[in-house]
Amino acid sequence: MLSECFIASTLASSKVPASASLRDVGVCVHEFQPTLNLRSTFKKSSTAARSLAVSPSHVFAAQSEKAIVHVYSREKGNQEATVPFPERIRSIAVAGSKNGDVLVLGTEGGRLILWETCTGRQVATTASHLRPVTALVVDPSSNFILSGSSDASVHVWSLVDLLSFTKAPSGRDRQPPNSPIRTFSNHRAGITSIAVGHSAGRYNIAVSAAEDNTAIAWDYHTGRLLRTFLLPSSAISIALDPADRAFYVGYQDGSIQSIDFYKSQSIQHPLHDPSLQSTPSQPSAEDRWLPPSADCGAAHALTLSYDGMTLLSGHQNGKVLSWNVGRKKYASMVADYTHPVTNIMMLPPSGLPHPTLDLQRVAHTIVKPRYDHTLSESSQSSGIVPADYTFSTHLLPSVSSKSDPKPTQFAEAFSHAYFPESMIDEGLAELAALSQPGSNGTQASSMSQAVTDEEVAAKDSQIFQLEGELATLKKKASVNETARQSTTDEVTKLRSDLANLHDYITELHEKQEQAQREKIIRQARKQERETRRREAWFAAEKKGKKGDAVVRKMDAEDTVMTSDTDDQSSDEQ
Amino acid sequence: MAYMSMSLHAVNHRLTNIPVKQLPHLASCLAASLSNCGELLSTPQSQKSAKSDSDNAVQIHKLITRLGSLLQDRTYEGRWTAVVLVKALVEAGQWEILRGCESFVRGLISILAKSDPVTTKKMCIITLTRIFHLTYQYPTLVREITTPSLPGFITSALNLISVKPSSEPVRRLKPNTPFVEVVLQSFSELIARHPTIFRPFTAQIHSVLQNIIGSTAPTFPEPILEIAQQLFISLHNCAPKNSGSDEWKNACRMTITSIHTTSSYVFRAVSEQWESSDPSLRQISHPQDYGQEVGNGPDALGLGSWQGLDAGVTRLVVLLRMLSGFLGNPTSSTVNMPVGAVLDLTARLNMLTVPSSGSDIQANPQIGRAERENLLTELPRIHVASLKLLLDLVNTLETGVLSVAQTILEQALWVFRAEKFSREVRTGVYDLLSALLARVGPSMTKQSVSSLAVLLRTCCHDLLPPVGNQNAPERSDPKSKSKTSNQAAVNADAFLNPGLKQVRQTSSSSSFPHLNRAASELLVATLTHAPTEFVSPALRAEIDRTIIMTSDKNAMLASVLNPFPAMQGRGVGTSIMPFLARSYPAETEVESLIRPRMPVLMNGSAINGYAAMDEDEDEEEEPALAPPTASEASGFLKPVPTPSLHQDMMDVEVTPQALNKRSYAEDVEMKAPTPSTIESPAAATQSKKLRFEAEQAAAAPTQPSLEAASPAAFTGTAAISVPTSSIAGPAPTPVASKPTLAGSSSGKKASALRSAEAAEDESDDELPTLNMDPDTDDEDNEDDE
Repeated sequence: MLSECFIASTLASSKVPASASLRDVGVCVHEFQPTLNLRSTFKKSSTAARSLAVSPSHVFAAQSEKAIVHVYSREKGNQEATVPFPERIRSIAVAGSKNGDVLVLGTEGGRLILWETCTGRQVATTASHLRPVTALVVDPSSNFILSGSSDASVHVWSLVDLLSFTKAPSGRDRQPPNSPIRTFSNHRAGITSIAVGHSAGRYNIAVSAAEDNTAIAWDYHTGRLLRTFLLPSSAISIALDPADRAFYVGYQDGSIQSIDFYKSQSIQHPLHDPSLQSTPSQPSAEDRWLPPSADCGAAHALTLSYDGMTLLSGHQNGKVLSWNVGRKKYASMVADYTHPVTNIMMLPPSGLPHPTLDLQRVAHTIVKPRYDHTLSESSQSSGIVPADYTFSTHLLPSVSSKSDPKPTQFAEAFSHAYFPESMIDEGLAELAALSQPGSNGTQASSMSQAVTDEEVAAKDSQIFQLEGELATLKKKASVNETARQSTTDEVTKLRSDLANLHDYITELHEKQEQAQREKIIRQARKQERETRRREAWFAAEKKGKKGDAVVRKMDAEDTVMTSDTDDQSSDEQ
Repeated sequence: MAYMSMSLHAVNHRLTNIPVKQLPHLASCLAASLSNCGELLSTPQSQKSAKSDSDNAVQIHKLITRLGSLLQDRTYEGRWTAVVLVKALVEAGQWEILRGCESFVRGLISILAKSDPVTTKKMCIITLTRIFHLTYQYPTLVREITTPSLPGFITSALNLISVKPSSEPVRRLKPNTPFVEVVLQSFSELIARHPTIFRPFTAQIHSVLQNIIGSTAPTFPEPILEIAQQLFISLHNCAPKNSGSDEWKNACRMTITSIHTTSSYVFRAVSEQWESSDPSLRQISHPQDYGQEVGNGPDALGLGSWQGLDAGVTRLVVLLRMLSGFLGNPTSSTVNMPVGAVLDLTARLNMLTVPSSGSDIQANPQIGRAERENLLTELPRIHVASLKLLLDLVNTLETGVLSVAQTILEQALWVFRAEKFSREVRTGVYDLLSALLARVGPSMTKQSVSSLAVLLRTCCHDLLPPVGNQNAPERSDPKSKSKTSNQAAVNADAFLNPGLKQVRQTSSSSSFPHLNRAASELLVATLTHAPTEFVSPALRAEIDRTIIMTSDKNAMLASVLNPFPAMQGRGVGTSIMPFLARSYPAETEVESLIRPRMPVLMNGSAINGYAAMDEDEDEEEEPALAPPTASEASGFLKPVPTPSLHQDMMDVEVTPQALNKRSYAEDVEMKAPTPSTIESPAAATQSKKLRFEAEQAAAAPTQPSLEAASPAAFTGTAAISVPTSSIAGPAPTPVASKPTLAGSSSGKKASALRSAEAAEDESDDELPTLNMDPDTDDEDNEDDE
């Protein structure tokens, strides 16, 4: 379920809490939304302001007036360790963005101690501050530490340089190692509180408040002053809007003031307007929100809710008050811890899906600092990572980092509602292959049989081919046969025809001969008749009878006779 | 609900009435209908009071019974369908079905032993894994279902991929079995959740994995190797109570030792310079028989022996990948990651590089030249694996890497300098560097950034089309002497065939997707995280040009958001903003950058508001130096900047813009004494007034009517100032002194613009009430460019 909690720590006082559940309690985890109630408590702690740091797994509380840090496990809800340090700790902060692996401690003597809670390594800086380190923040990129001191200066340190085994080739050779890279010294009195902007980029800002009644917004990448704000009194706590649009300061008298960077309707970012940079601006009095009663005491700590619309303040009289940012006034009292509330921090809401903030690893237990080579600044000058440098952590199964470009078949099938299409198809193909009769059951059953099958098939095909050839040959032969048959038939027929014709010819010849013979006979008869007529005529003439009449008589006889023969001759021709 | 009970009915009907042989073709549809009935199937029995619900309960019962009998079916088809539908049913029904699925589990396990086709068994394994996975969150179901049947599943799955020859807990892998991958996947899914059930089988699984990981002659395909390594690492989950982290540590240490041993053999052809940071490793010397072919017997991990250099290198790469796996895979509890030992190992591997022409490696005289050359050829392969190992270390430790980042960076640079010829090495270095920059970029020193210069140049080179790069550096940066190297090679084809350039441009961008992705990511990381002031102007120009040529939106945004800072005496910086606006006019990021709606970081110093948006960030950086625009009267006059150095980087686009600014500054100076413009003596009002005017001046070109009207409306003084400005303009401007070609040509354009602007300024005096929207102001600036 979506919920938002804050964590607050108190400074032990002589007062006794009314509620038994708050007895002995030094650090409280309090649910802020949806319902107000105390979630869990950690006991036996007394912290001054800016002495509480929270990582996803642990709570670190630097004990006031002591050189001790109490480490509480958030998982187990108990005190895990009590870590002593050589100096009193005045301020602490957690570095390492979402994992919070490095604890930065500001000491009474003006130096920083860095403790890698996963390896136990400890690095100390030069004592660059002349007075105690009173304020400490780490920027969102986890590359820079800003430390403010009561000596009125703010140092910027490179976290990477401080921690690195191999010192980067640096141009800062004149300076001793482990010293700040930049100093901001525009304040005239001790620094009370620092807040850093929420950008990881290079145009991030820092806002620092000091006892000289000023708050200064500046660029910690360059050390350049952006704007000075003249406050009515000395601010002791600062909180910055989630989008860096405004900041809020808490005062000794328990009142809160909001300072909006975007007061003017300019299109420019007012912090980067050089015409305004040299002129200190004075926030108007109406931006100061008065506490409900005068006995609230100093607002030691401020924090903003996730949406930036509710401001929580921890007060000297042990109350945690909430303020409505939009209406610019006190809203309600959230909790009462009796002891002065010196630190208050809003925790990131749980239940929001936040892929970039998902932890890939978690440190269940811290590794206490090792003292063999601690605080000796030049011990690791060789630049070699020692072989026994181990990092103690629990790697968590992460969803986001393992996003392969192409998920495996298993992963795909595993998360599918039944089985992916490709797998079903594969299975169907396999089943189809099984059920096919031609392929002799399972394919994998016998490879040799398949081989013989293949051979048989090859032979079969050969035989088939041969048979085919044979058939065609036979067909060809039969065709030839029939062709020859037909030709012989033809020949015989032709021959018979020829014979017929010969017969016919001989017949005709016979007829012709007969006709000729008849003709000859007829001619002969004719000649005979002629001669008879002539003889008759001659005879008649001789007899003196009229020859012609006899001839005519004979002609008439002839026509009767020759008509038959003439008919015959005409037939023949 | 009505629809669901109807479709449930339909599923039942089809399951019972259609012949089993034909069911597989319907399985997909049936499974889909079942998974749509999720709500109905997962409704608890106790809530089913109504009459219709009791009917549903009957249907569900019928379905379960039918599936149970199908699982025991005699045909392959029936069993296959049952497996598919059981998975669908379990996914849809969740707890309600799971609690009664014990018979399913038994049926599924029995299928594994039958002679079913491959997919049936694969699906069986997946379905069983899924059932065990789903029951995990319900302790009662784990007790009833998982605990009794998981051992049987493990045994049958192991039997699928291996044979157990004797009573010893050692198994031999079956050759050519198609189930290796799916079985290993399933085990690695389950082992972390049920370590105690897997514990009796660890020795058997271990021996199978040793077979897979250690095989060198026929290496297993990549996915199988990867999952085998993952499972090998996950075996530490099975260690008896509280010793899991020790088990992990031992396995990790043994892997490191094994890599050291293997590399001692593989690297025997050369004498290494490396000296371990671990005193215990320094003493180890490996007496080797140099007469024989390189090879090694079973090592610390119990992997098989190998013979020959290629096999040795392969083994080394496999082991390095396994070590990467140790750093990347989830662990059972808190473990001690041996960061020091890993870095010591990579130092050894990365120190030995391919010798460049200048340097030479110390050869081992006892080994022949052939083996040495063989080794040097294989080195990039080893280095790619060691770079991947470092990348995994960085990704795992995240912010914890701060202390060793510099060491890793140095190692990457050793490899890069010697082996940048290898595409894979380049890709690996780019990836590693992108990851490192995201962690430690902001606090890099000038020296570290400049040590990356060569690398970044190569990166640009990889992204740019090869032909386009040849004459580009010369034009962009005449001052740089270092970049005349590749001028000599002239591609004659490029002259002969102008179209060739186009072709190669398109082909080069698609040829090596990994390299291209890595290179463009590196550019983005460099611009976003590294301090821009430490990147030399020449290099920055090359990066910007590459970005423009590749039109990579992310890189363009990164470049615009992290401009080159203005430096003292060098005038304003420049930006590729116009290119971004032209390339991606409709993108949200571009819109929010150019036309911000909410309060954002914007122009810090240009009081006149005329400065183009792309200079905003520059001026935030050095606002006191950048603006050449304040007037004398306002009290903010700064020395006029000398000609911009960066103009020669980006001459095409910066020149007119710079001139515009410049000319406007002069206009203001000249106008300052005229009484018509200066009303108020207060500095703040003056500046505000000027800004207001300037906005209008900038906005004016969008209003042609205004422009046209202005000359007519001139007052006497103003009319004089116009010619003065255009005459006086060229004398001090950078145009005259600048040697670039583009300067002179754009100078004319600029003077024309200048006079027009002067005219517009005057016209503004006539129209003081004109209130321009800042958004149009921005658009204007783009138009100007």
